Formats: sequence, C-alpha cells, structure tokens
Amino acid sequence: MKATVRKDIVKTDVLIIGGGIAGMQAAITAAEHGVDVIVAEKADTRRSGCGATGNDHFMCYIPEYHGEDFNEIIREVTETLVGPLQDMDLLRLMMKRSHELVLKWESYGIPMRPTGQWSFMGHAMPGRRRYHLKYDGKDQKPLLTKAALARGAKIMNKTVMRQLLTDDAGRVVGAIGINITNDVPEIVVFQTKAVIIATGNALRLYPGQNPAYSFNVANCPADTGSGQAMALRAGARLVNLDQPYVHSGPKYFARAGKATWIGVLTDFHGEPVGPFVTKPTKELGDVTADIWQNVFEEKMEDGSGPVYMNCSETSEDDMQYMMNAFLSEGDSSIVDYLDQYDINLRKEMVEFGTFEYNFTARGLDIGLDGGTTLPGLYAAGNATGNVRGDITSAAVFGHICAENASEYVKTQPDYDVTNHAEIAKEIELIDTILGRENGATWREANSMLQQIMREYVGMKLRSESLMKAGIKYIRDLRKYSLNQLKADNAHELMRTLEVLDLIDVGEAVALMSENRKESRGRCHRRSDYTFTNPLLNNKFQTIAKTKDGFQLEFRDKAR
Amino acid sequence: MPPVINQELCVKCGLCAQICPLDVIKVEQNVENEKNIVVKYPDECWHCRACAIDCPKQAIKLRYPLSHMMLHIEVNEQERGI
Repeated sequence: MKATVRKDIVKTDVLIIGGGIAGMQAAITAAEHGVDVIVAEKADTRRSGCGATGNDHFMCYIPEYHGEDFNEIIREVTETLVGPLQDMDLLRLMMKRSHELVLKWESYGIPMRPTGQWSFMGHAMPGRRRYHLKYDGKDQKPLLTKAALARGAKIMNKTVMRQLLTDDAGRVVGAIGINITNDVPEIVVFQTKAVIIATGNALRLYPGQNPAYSFNVANCPADTGSGQAMALRAGARLVNLDQPYVHSGPKYFARAGKATWIGVLTDFHGEPVGPFVTKPTKELGDVTADIWQNVFEEKMEDGSGPVYMNCSETSEDDMQYMMNAFLSEGDSSIVDYLDQYDINLRKEMVEFGTFEYNFTARGLDIGLDGGTTLPGLYAAGNATGNVRGDITSAAVFGHICAENASEYVKTQPDYDVTNHAEIAKEIELIDTILGRENGATWREANSMLQQIMREYVGMKLRSESLMKAGIKYIRDLRKYSLNQLKADNAHELMRTLEVLDLIDVGEAVALMSENRKESRGRCHRRSDYTFTNPLLNNKFQTIAKTKDGFQLEFRDKAR
Repeated sequence: MPPVINQELCVKCGLCAQICPLDVIKVEQNVENEKNIVVKYPDECWHCRACAIDCPKQAIKLRYPLSHMMLHIEVNEQERGI
C-alpha cells in the first residue's frame, strides 16, 4: 500500500494540533478573534482526549465565593494535588483567569454549577479552603465543539499530525498530517502562520498495571506524546520530563477520577491509612493519595497492604452524589462495572493502586503568552511542562495561546511550504512503512519501549549505568523500528507513528533523567545520587535538540 | 471485545465508529455494499463508553475483560469468614 497525498495544501492562519479541552478552547477564542483556524484531531473532537466523556473538577478562584485572598488559594493549589512543578507566574496567571473561563464555559452550555450554586468539593485538606469547582462535564466535548463550529472554526477529524514545518529562521510555518478516515491513508500538508500544540500526555511509554493490555490506562491512551515529540524534532524546548507524575485508582481497572470517590482509604482491616478523614463526605473525600502518592505501593512492598477505597461510611445522599459524579467525570464505566458485577460499595471495598509514570503537564516550555521557544509555536494543557492545572490549564492556556497567536499571525507573511524538504522525507517514511510486506508490528516496538523504560529509566531506581544503557537501547530500538516497522492500513500507520513519537519522548526522558544527578521526590530516585540537591530546588531542567545535538540545562523556574 | 453491538438494534449509522477516541470501531462494506459496524481493534478500547453513551439506539454495551478485574472485598472481616 502507498499513501495518497492531498493535492491542495490546506492553508490557515492558526493550526491547532489536538482537539481536546485546550484545542477546542483555543479554536473558540481564535475564531472569536476573526482569524482562520483549523483544529486537526486524530479522533473526533466530540469525544476525544482525556475529557472525552467528561470531567468533574475545574480548579478555580472565584472572588465572589473565595473572597479577596487570592494568595490563600495559591497556597492550597501548591500544597495539594498539582505539586511542585509550577512556574509560579504561570500558575498565578492561570488562577487569575480561571473565573473568566468558567463563565465562558457556562455560556457554551456546560453546567458549571449543576446545583445552582458554586460548589467546591474534594481534593482538599480538612479545615482548608477548597478550590476544585464541581461541575458536570459529561457533555463538555460536544458543547465545546458546537461553540467552536458556531464561531467559524474548522475541524478536521481523523487527522493524525506528524511533523511541524519550520523556515530557515526556525519559525513554524506548516505541518504534515495524515487523514485516517479510510483504510488508505491520505497525507495532508498544512501551511499556517502559527501552530498551537494542544495534544496531551505521553501514555503507553511506561507499562501500566497490566502490561499485556497497554490501553488499560487512566488517561486517554490516544495521547502518545506526539506534540512533545514533534516540537522536540522541530527544535522547541521541553521541560520537566525527568520528573514524571503518577496517578492512582482502581488497581487493574485504570480510570482517572480518584477524587470523585467519596470514601476513606483503608487497609485490609478497614482502618484508615491516612490522617485526614475517617467519615467521608462529598465536601471532603480522602486526600491521602494526593499527598502520599506512594501509599499503595509502599504498603504492598512492606506487606501491610492492600489499600482499599472504602465507601461503607459514606451517607446514602453522598453515595448517590458520587455515582452521578462518576458520570460527570467520564467514569461511567466504573458505575457500569459495579452494576454488571453486582458490587455494592456499602459492603465492599475496592482495591486501589498506583498507575504507571505519566507526563501530565510535562512537555513544552511556555511563557506567559503561551508561546514556546520557537516563533509561531504555542502550547497549552497537558502538553506543556512548566504549569499544571488539568482542565483549568487546558482551558485558560488554550484561551491565552489563541489570544496571542491571533495577534501574532497578523504580523506574519505567507510562507509557501510547497517544496519544503520535510514533505518528501515524510512521504518516503510513510510509504516505506506501508510498503513492507513482512516486518515488525507497532505492538512489538511499543512493548520493548515499555520494557526499556521500566527497567532502565525506572520507576523504582535510577542510576547512571542503567540510564546510559537505556539510552543506547532506546536508540537501537529506533533504528530497528525504522528498518522494520510495517503497517497494513491507516489505523496501523497511526499506531506505528505514535510509537515512533513515544521513542523520541522516551529518549528525552532518559537523557534528562540521567543528567539530573540527585534524587528528587517520588519519581526520580537514584542509587548513585541518593540526596536531594538544594541548589536545584528552584530550578527546572530543559531539553532542546540543536544541530549540535541535545542541549540540557537547569534554569530558574520563572522563565 | 469490549464494545458489544446488538446487531438487531443497530441502524448502521456509524456514529460510534466516527467518535471512538481510539478508532476501535470501523464501518466495513461487504460485497453487496451493505454496511457493517465492526469492533475491529477490541484490545485498544479505553472503556470511555463514548460509543454506548452516544448510540442513538442504545445498541452498545461494554464487556469488561477479566484482565481489567476490579478487585474488591467485603468490609467486615466477620462477613469475609476470615
């Protein structure tokens, strides 16, 4: 099989890569600013990405609810869920503008106060202010899509983006994607004045709880670090890939939405494992795993586990509230499973576990305008690396990127990408993969990548010899993959290109982790540098690919 | 195979195939040009239930494989017989 190539180049002012929360918000805002905007989405924006079938927590600061003490909310944010990897200027900007985005979302028809009032629930410590607005996001994606289309944004679904095009000055001027609607893939070339990367996490890089089923992961497994990978290849700077994140939830039934559960984390005997809650309420579920992220594996390793989500003390009203919230959060499969298997949470505890390393908000290094280090390239949401806020950062920075990109494009001339050298290279790569009669499948390469990441850029222990060996093995895997991978149709081609992107992200993770010569937090424990270096406390590590190779640097958190 | 389509209820509109975030479901055509909705990549299902939620005929249910077992246990030791 050979791919077809669309004859006409698709031209636009702003190209948004990824139609999740960040991408759709960016599309709405860019269209409101009167520029031509296209969203390229690998699935369908109505149900794609981590927010596909819902979310229920929107971090925000609403002055009429929280009062004037903004700093108090900032303190809560930094001390609980979202952790230490924050550029405080970006975090403050995000929280300052969160209220504005909540009101915009309400205007799109998304129920931001389904009870009629502002309601802040969960993800909080006893006696402290709550800052997670409880909303009903089950139809957020169709509603954001509707709002974007109504304002004139164009959406290209089933379009997998592969490569950015830059001019000699490093300015982003286009991109290459693949339309996978039919079995025969169609290569599409875009000419644009600005690109907003709104892809997500890098799932399927580390093996999950059940490695044989690599799509059994909490976040959307279609998110394979492609935004980070294509930006890295184009020369943009990434940040914080050496400090992954872990989530937790029902052990082998991987879903996000830990804080949607209203229960207490208890041991086998029903005794609470954390100090925060004994009688759970909807206002205050058990925040233990937000703060003691290791709790599940530590208690398995020392034999005092397993640890369970125990909802037996939850009131009838709160139980009903939780079941509805699962639907808002996109976790209707939990409700469906409990129903199909006749599991009664009044009587039964569900075992929780820690999921694999992921890269929620590890990625592109952005400034206060959402701009990356490449002119014309912006990024928002989980694909960015120096601010984290889940739905909030996706919505707020999607909006900010679009505001600034819409102004930037007015200053830019058209750049004709017709004869860009990258186009021929990509067509050759794709046709080689499609043309092989015998060869390796994407699954083979993906499983080997997961093994290398687990063992050599590990979740338990890291060291120079392990990681240097790992870097060698990742590069071997890339070489063999390029020489052997085959795909028989557009779907398999998408998976194959995803694995090539994951290999690029894995290499960057390994290089940065090897270069961090200290131990830090839960996710970066080195046997050869067992201490935490205070000189690095207020620094982030960055990586960029230059013509002289990879450049790694530690810089102050504030850019 | 996680999504299970009730072929008697299914009207072959193809919405499930269009919206699946993982491209698990495909519309195929047989030699008589009849459309068929096929769960082609069941191992790539993420259990988001988009297909089941949006199906206009409620023709889709999810089957949860044994590899995804949600481990659970009775709260009271006495009732567990331990």
